Amino acid sequence: MADVQVTERELSRAERTIRLVDGDVHSTLMPASLHARLPRRWQRHLEQLGPRVAGAYAMFPRMRNGGFRIDARPEKGFPGSDLGLVQAQLLDEYDMDYAVLTPMQPQNFGGEAPELAAELCRATNDWTREEWVEQDARLLGSICPPHEHPDLAVKEIERIAGTERFVQVLLPATLEQGLGNRRYWPMLRAATEAGLPIALHTGGNEMHRGAGWPSYYLEMHVWNGNTMAMQLLSMICSGVFEEIPDLQVVSIECGIAWAASLSWAMDDAWRTFGEVETTRLRRPPSEYLREHFWFTTQPIEEPDEPEHLAFAFDALGMTDRILFSTDYPHWDFDAPGQTLPRSLSKEVKQKILAGNATRLYGLPR
Amino acid sequence: MTVATRVVDVDVHVGPGSIQPLLEYMEPYWADYVANAELFLSPTMNGLYPPAAFVPGGEEGTITSVPTTPEELREGLGDDRVAVLNCIVPFDTSHNPYYEAALCSGVNDWLRAHFLERDERLRGSLALPTLDPDAAVQEIERLGSHPGFVQVLLPIRTEVPYGNKRWHRVHDAAAQHGLVLGLHAWGRVANAPTASGFTHSYLEDYASNSQIVAQAHVTSLVSEGVFERTPDLKVALLECGFAWLPFLLWRFDKDWKGVWREVPWVKERPSAYVLRSFRFSTAPAQLPADPAVLARIPDLMPVTELLMYASDHPHRHGAGVDALLDLLDQDGREAVLSGNAASLYGL
Repeated sequence: MADVQVTERELSRAERTIRLVDGDVHSTLMPASLHARLPRRWQRHLEQLGPRVAGAYAMFPRMRNGGFRIDARPEKGFPGSDLGLVQAQLLDEYDMDYAVLTPMQPQNFGGEAPELAAELCRATNDWTREEWVEQDARLLGSICPPHEHPDLAVKEIERIAGTERFVQVLLPATLEQGLGNRRYWPMLRAATEAGLPIALHTGGNEMHRGAGWPSYYLEMHVWNGNTMAMQLLSMICSGVFEEIPDLQVVSIECGIAWAASLSWAMDDAWRTFGEVETTRLRRPPSEYLREHFWFTTQPIEEPDEPEHLAFAFDALGMTDRILFSTDYPHWDFDAPGQTLPRSLSKEVKQKILAGNATRLYGLPR
Repeated sequence: MTVATRVVDVDVHVGPGSIQPLLEYMEPYWADYVANAELFLSPTMNGLYPPAAFVPGGEEGTITSVPTTPEELREGLGDDRVAVLNCIVPFDTSHNPYYEAALCSGVNDWLRAHFLERDERLRGSLALPTLDPDAAVQEIERLGSHPGFVQVLLPIRTEVPYGNKRWHRVHDAAAQHGLVLGLHAWGRVANAPTASGFTHSYLEDYASNSQIVAQAHVTSLVSEGVFERTPDLKVALLECGFAWLPFLLWRFDKDWKGVWREVPWVKERPSAYVLRSFRFSTAPAQLPADPAVLARIPDLMPVTELLMYASDHPHRHGAGVDALLDLLDQDGREAVLSGNAASLYGL
């Protein structure tokens, strides 16, 4: 019976337009699998010295099932490490057309020595291709480059770009410097020349913040959008969009509505004094925001009045650039049928659930 | 626009012009320290208020001139308002906690003698050091009962967010003295504003005050249970914008529902604490330029309860708050122009 259902689904999928794309699914690379894919030299290095960078969970412990959906633990390994469970709980369960894989381990690889970072990213990308993308035609890969070493990052982007169903270059939202910094431009240019957007996922190795370190995961999680706001501002003010006009940037897991107030603030500041200083900008900053950025939905904001979210989206003027996402297998998973508020029109919902991602990633039916 | 009651202006800048007038209030050691280290007060506050950017008229090359006497203040600002004076000179960038504390004390004595005791319409903020909470408490105990001081003043760019445990004794001392916790834009600009380090443009640095740093203090003060510990504590966010608040609270309330067990001392929705305990100055306003979008702002946040008018004299920010005030009825305008501040500061 189950087999018949799957067959019908596959048939309907082949004939129908794309109805559901998930923009943020965490495939998890187990340490042993990673280790096995490294050259002996770097295996020995890690065995003797270990990594240099602490993971996000060590800085802000998640006090809710370790940060994961309670049912997402496979018999062996971490949540997100078992393809079969991801298929059952996500792709089949919601009859998804496509899901974008966003492995998080490379966020911490960036702080390692350049050659090691490059090997770690190479191993991760090969693993994504062999064990995920080639195993299920619904899965889309992200290229993870050694992002703090842009010359090596360019090589890794060029090595993977063109591989079937690798649709973006994935970076952490927090880097050693603002992403508008010129040293990152070759990496951004390589992605753009390969026809790929870059995606910034919340997280990464954080410097001291302007207000100092918060104490709780709650604060860190609420703050995702603020971190992203400064990256968007860094890129816009740097003039990189004048330099690389086709560059497209996806903000993942940082919310959306705050971008409306960011656009008001940066335009107000630009009108007041920014025109003198940010000479590379030819237009108000919010125009670059609207033409170069995309946002995934999870964790979507939830005002008491659902209509207020529709207002914020309208005020931002970017409903053509919002992509549905679940954040599987994390605790705050958003289910496709229960996430978008009633206040959004059917047309807008369809764009968010599939149409926008189809356009951005050029997905085939 | 006309209002029946006198305007209360909650963010007016004054300063001593140079460090010399402060030295008479500081221990002799500091005169020696200042002289031999060749310290001076930066006219641009180490780049926070650059030439021309904020001066009315905005002539290129003009150095922002902060009033040094009540007469200069009245000349520039008029004679018709109650003003809360913020002297941000002690927003220091050195890492010497003793110098920072001495500078705060010097500024507070100078402000008391030169402004608060010379004009009864003026109120002042008691500048506190950021590196030594014990010294901050001592300063509150030394001068916090003076009727001219209505709030304590701390910068938002700092080393530890203000909800953190090490600040609890400062909250208690402020609340016991009936002083508002005033958090003002800028501060330790030698610390990078973002988690990805320093910015490369003034626009980013400026926007970081409202878009990132101030918001971190809001989440910190609520998450650490400060308003359960010290229910009487009130917080004024000064020169930090306000239009970002509804979007922050949508996220904050939702996340609290999800991870409340990490912070069980937060007994109400975060927005309940924020709406009750925080007030916001109106400059910079950073509002949408589209009138149709602007008209919805009062639906998203109770502006007539939260906002307090500020000129930020002698600085100038963007288009200002007038377009929003024009949307309010007479009672709402009066609340923003005087009532909310009078109530918060007990004027």
